[in-house]
Amino acid sequence: MRDEFYKTLASPIWWGALVIAAIMPFVLSSYYVHILTLALVYVALASSWNIVGGMAGQISLAHSLFIGIGSMFSAALLLKLGINMWLGLVISAVISGILGAVIAWIDFRFQLGHLSFVLITLAFAEMGSIVVEGWDFLGGASGLLLPKDTGNFLAFQFGGGHGAFWMMLALAAICVLVNVAILNSPLGYYLRTIRDNEKAAQAIGVNILRYKITAMVISAMLASVVGTAYVRYLTFADPYLLISPVITIEIVLFATVGGLGRAYGPALGALLLVPLGEILRGKLGSTLPGLHYFIYGIVVISVILVTPRGLLPLFERLWARWRGPAVAGKP
Amino acid sequence: MAFLEVSNITRRFGGLVALNAVSFDVEKGEILGIIGPNGAGKTTLFGVISGFIPPSAGDVVYDGESIIGVSPDRLVRRGLMRSFQIVQSFADMTALDVVTTAALTRRPMREAIDYAAHALLRVGLGGKEHKTPATLSLQDKKLLELAKCIATDPRCILLDEVMAGLTMAETAAPIAIIEELNKQGVTIVMVEHVMPVIMRLAQRMVVINFGEKIAQGTPDEILKDQRVVDAYFGDHLDA
Repeated sequence: MRDEFYKTLASPIWWGALVIAAIMPFVLSSYYVHILTLALVYVALASSWNIVGGMAGQISLAHSLFIGIGSMFSAALLLKLGINMWLGLVISAVISGILGAVIAWIDFRFQLGHLSFVLITLAFAEMGSIVVEGWDFLGGASGLLLPKDTGNFLAFQFGGGHGAFWMMLALAAICVLVNVAILNSPLGYYLRTIRDNEKAAQAIGVNILRYKITAMVISAMLASVVGTAYVRYLTFADPYLLISPVITIEIVLFATVGGLGRAYGPALGALLLVPLGEILRGKLGSTLPGLHYFIYGIVVISVILVTPRGLLPLFERLWARWRGPAVAGKP
Repeated sequence: MAFLEVSNITRRFGGLVALNAVSFDVEKGEILGIIGPNGAGKTTLFGVISGFIPPSAGDVVYDGESIIGVSPDRLVRRGLMRSFQIVQSFADMTALDVVTTAALTRRPMREAIDYAAHALLRVGLGGKEHKTPATLSLQDKKLLELAKCIATDPRCILLDEVMAGLTMAETAAPIAIIEELNKQGVTIVMVEHVMPVIMRLAQRMVVINFGEKIAQGTPDEILKDQRVVDAYFGDHLDA
């Protein structure tokens, strides 16, 4: 592990930002707390996707499958078999990890190109949603309704509202920290060489299969855990939301707009775009239906055109110009 | 038993025979030069030895064990390192990042970074650690390939045309590095077109033409060999 990781752990900015975020529920109305909670869900999801999609450069569309397992399956385990949701969280994460490993292995075994990888992962995601909609155990097309959140921590309940916000804040922070940790460890170096040039990566001793699988397993397990927390927050396990490829597209979009492969990029993208989308919908959704999508789309396209590598690199350039001579490169 | 034994390596691509029953030995600690006209099969041969291209027939024994079917990254960890003729670039990583990844083969994170910085200094790329490989000059890219090799602590390096495209003055640095590595006991097999360089460095040479070994011997013997002269200049030349 590079020293930068420990510096991040000891950084007052990090802890300051967390503390400020943590007191938000006391300052903001419940509507904005809800929007921030959603934003944190997507910070966590985009950051977990970033490990595969950003660092290793593998555009996985299978993540709705992992989110779906984490949410629908753990909900079904609780409702149908009475299994505690903490345990459900672990079981779902393990299943997601195994599926992730299988997908990564298939990719390696059949030497899929970038486009084939995208399509194979999309096929996995579609299979997942078909299974969920067709299997009553998982609620079928009508979904599952979780018992009311009474704040019983041992039953994976956080008391809704503020409690859910803090839970999501902790989860989002963990996902971002995992990103920081990976980028400052050998795995980060391996994944970046694999993304840039697989053959050359192998020629300097990188075991492609092992690290592709490692990345996919970590990413899938995190996405699954976030899925479990998300469904607890939503209370209603809606298959059309949780195991639809649309949720993956959103994650990919946030990560790309924020800055692919960077530790804080996907988080930045989600923190800006989720509130923007929600507020536009809240303000315009009833008066001019559809207009919020239009404005949102224009914002996203503009960002991509102005700074194709994401907002984080743009902000860094602006910051460097403002501070004067640039400091040497960062990971 | 030789350190690296290539025996009867054949590689076909469809109907094309790129290598036809090529055999030679490399002794521990020597510098072996491989020469041959363009398209003779030299890079394919390196591809086979380094594990990137499976041979159609034949065997490669490295340090007493057959390495056919062993993946390139495992060979690197066993000390068999290969450089590329076409410099492999990494779009989003600095020179230091790339060499650090190579150094991670044998070292933990922090040591690897120090060792990579040291390797870059050693090849003369000090001060360019934070440039991306794509922005380096051709000479510096070739030096970066050498730094990657050094960083993995190899016992045997396959160098594929590290001098190609360099001026004679620019070859001085890589030559010095290769000589130094060899003095430290690293076995070197090099494919090279730049004759003065390979004549100076190689202790023995193998000549390949149309996928077949046509000669081997010391540089002086090779220069006098009629088959080699024919291969390079055509057999109609009365010179």
